[in-house]
Amino acid sequence: MKLFSDLGDWLDERTGHKKLLAHALDEPIRGGARWAYVFGSALLGSFLVQAVTGIALMTSYAPSDKTAWASVHYITFTQSGGWLLRGLHHFGAQAMVIVLVAHLAQVALFGAYKKPREVNWWLGLALFAITLGFALTGYLLPWDQKGYWATRVATNIAGTVPVVGDATQKLLQGGAEYGSLTLTRFYAIHVALLPALLVALVGAHVALFRKHGVTPSAKTDTSRVDAFFPKQLLKDVVAVLAVVAVVFVMALREHGAPLDAPADPSSDYPARPEWYFLALFQLLKYFHGPLEIVGTIVLPTVIGAYLFALPLLDRKPGTALRGRKGSLLPLALIGAGAVGLTLQAQHQDANDAGFQKERVKADERASIANRIAKEGVPPEGPLAMMKRDPELRGPELFDKHCAGCHILGAHGADKDRTAPVLDGWGTEAWVLQMLHEPDGDTRFGRSVYKGEMPSVDTPPAGAPPTFKPMAPEDKSAIAAFLARTGDAAKLARGKELVTTRCTTCHLFEGKGDDSDQGLAPELSGWASVPWIRAQIANPSAKTNYREHALDPDRKGHMPRFDAEIRNEDMDLLAAWVHAEARRLKAR
Amino acid sequence: MTTSDPPPPPESAAPSTPSPASAGEPRPARRTVTLAVVVGSCAIAAATAIPAAAFVAAPIGSKGGGGRWVRTLRVDQLVDGEPKRVAIVDDRRDAWTIERGVELGSVWVVKHGAKVSAFSSVCPHLGCSVNLAPEAGGGFACPCHTSAFDADGKRKSGPSPRDLDALATRIEDGFVAVEFRRFRIGVPEKVET
Repeated sequence: MKLFSDLGDWLDERTGHKKLLAHALDEPIRGGARWAYVFGSALLGSFLVQAVTGIALMTSYAPSDKTAWASVHYITFTQSGGWLLRGLHHFGAQAMVIVLVAHLAQVALFGAYKKPREVNWWLGLALFAITLGFALTGYLLPWDQKGYWATRVATNIAGTVPVVGDATQKLLQGGAEYGSLTLTRFYAIHVALLPALLVALVGAHVALFRKHGVTPSAKTDTSRVDAFFPKQLLKDVVAVLAVVAVVFVMALREHGAPLDAPADPSSDYPARPEWYFLALFQLLKYFHGPLEIVGTIVLPTVIGAYLFALPLLDRKPGTALRGRKGSLLPLALIGAGAVGLTLQAQHQDANDAGFQKERVKADERASIANRIAKEGVPPEGPLAMMKRDPELRGPELFDKHCAGCHILGAHGADKDRTAPVLDGWGTEAWVLQMLHEPDGDTRFGRSVYKGEMPSVDTPPAGAPPTFKPMAPEDKSAIAAFLARTGDAAKLARGKELVTTRCTTCHLFEGKGDDSDQGLAPELSGWASVPWIRAQIANPSAKTNYREHALDPDRKGHMPRFDAEIRNEDMDLLAAWVHAEARRLKAR
Repeated sequence: MTTSDPPPPPESAAPSTPSPASAGEPRPARRTVTLAVVVGSCAIAAATAIPAAAFVAAPIGSKGGGGRWVRTLRVDQLVDGEPKRVAIVDDRRDAWTIERGVELGSVWVVKHGAKVSAFSSVCPHLGCSVNLAPEAGGGFACPCHTSAFDADGKRKSGPSPRDLDALATRIEDGFVAVEFRRFRIGVPEKVET
């Protein structure tokens, strides 16, 4: 102990730290220590949590549109402890907003904004704005769908400000559109500009607070004075501990923070802001057309102006609440309005079936993106990663190019269908049904090839009495051969039948009995991935159908897609159709 | 220790007891020094702040790049009266990056007989992406703030200050080409960014 005290003296002689510490700790609290005074310290405590977790996150985060999402994914799913750190930062931000509102309410109720504390009230309002700025800029940084679309709305709101709106929006976005510069700007604002401003203003805020002291409520006996240490500091520590505990429990319970699918400017997404902005979001729905600016700019500005003017409006001496009801009424209305609008926004979304459907779709996409990214994200970014994933891209391409005529599973509408149903296509069951009833509704029934293929077991109308239905075991052998399933003997028999019985019309390995007149497609490798790939690129390239099978007079046949689908997309689509058709049962 | 403190220098004398040097008319030399300090400080501040501010403010002058004609889908892929969302695929220059053949955004394309029209999918209210609204009797709806438009892109209800932004189209070798543009959001006039 002696050593410590000597060391303390030695340092004090050179720094004077003891006097500073005593000044900080012996602050007189007029009227005694109170729980009502803990909110400022609780805010400072939660800001420190944000600073520590934020700096730690910076060591793994890479702000560019190709790397931001991938690095946040890495933090969340790969780096050990990353999920917890992100969770603490995510819920810590929300805690800060809540404590901030509580702090503001306490100061307003106690009349602590009144003369001579006006400047400190204004500093507090500026700190409020800075905190919301942190929330807004931080939301974008993961560059996921949620942050991207919500922030686009926010910057578009900035753009509706008369005269300076366009310039402000471009200044924030780093240009006319969202891009890499948007992210670097938001990042710089979030990790450098706002922290610097916050630290400077918090310094001034605390200094002014020390100059004027606490504002006890009117009824308090001010003859009693506590020192900041230990009575008030203990309460403050308990408050900070409570906030940190809630943040910790939330982070554990939710296992970190959510990560939506990577930002995709060509997608549709039901954008919603973070919950504490929902009131402002809801407000935007009520002001239509030319009045739009009332919701985006006018009302928020009026609220800001009222808060700024509060200490100037309320100038009667004394802090008794009774004399200040008129001045505080707008604040109560703002608070009630915010709660009401927030509930209204949540209620509307909960009852909006369209929104819920969109939300489910978005969540599915997010979970697929998060799963495939665990294999690593290519340098071209997460969108390229998703474009190369058959499971994601396959259905998209099918919907876009194929579902107008075909059906595969839930893709395509039966009323518009003019081509075969592809469920189970390429399997034995499908071939058997095709041999039996080629003009069935799910086969050629609605296509231009209706009537071109005869049934092997049902005589056509007016057929000669010599018609002999194909034996079931022969049909089975053909189906097995075409589906490439079954034992070698069966496959050999199937091949023999195909090359003798089917090549009247069909090609096999490029040859047919009458290769100039038949319309039917190549059967070697039929329904394999290369066959599908060739069919998508150009059905009449002789590798599948022959040229004249797709004559212009045969209107409604499958078109060639090699001019409009890129090669890698055709590979992907063929692979997906092959797998998906075989996964489903033939209809 | 305190006893060994030297007497305070005249510069730091309290204002209540002005030293004879600063009483009345300041001496020209002192005024010059004050001026020099102020000007010097301002010069230092300006030398860093002006280039930094000009650098940060550079994007204010940037333009949206104007329209560009992009081929989308084949006309025969459209069903009469049924709008289809198509991605606009083209090269994208983003600050220091050039990307070939990426999706820049999407547009709604709809065919009525021989006429093919296209709408920007960006909601003119605050820039969300508009969807089809089969539940609301056709047309388009924004999933964010309840703006609704009819099948011709005309504003039906909700906060949007203008109709959906129509884009020029033309048919090239059986393909629908769309002039892809972006417009300012949240204003009644349709002006390019």
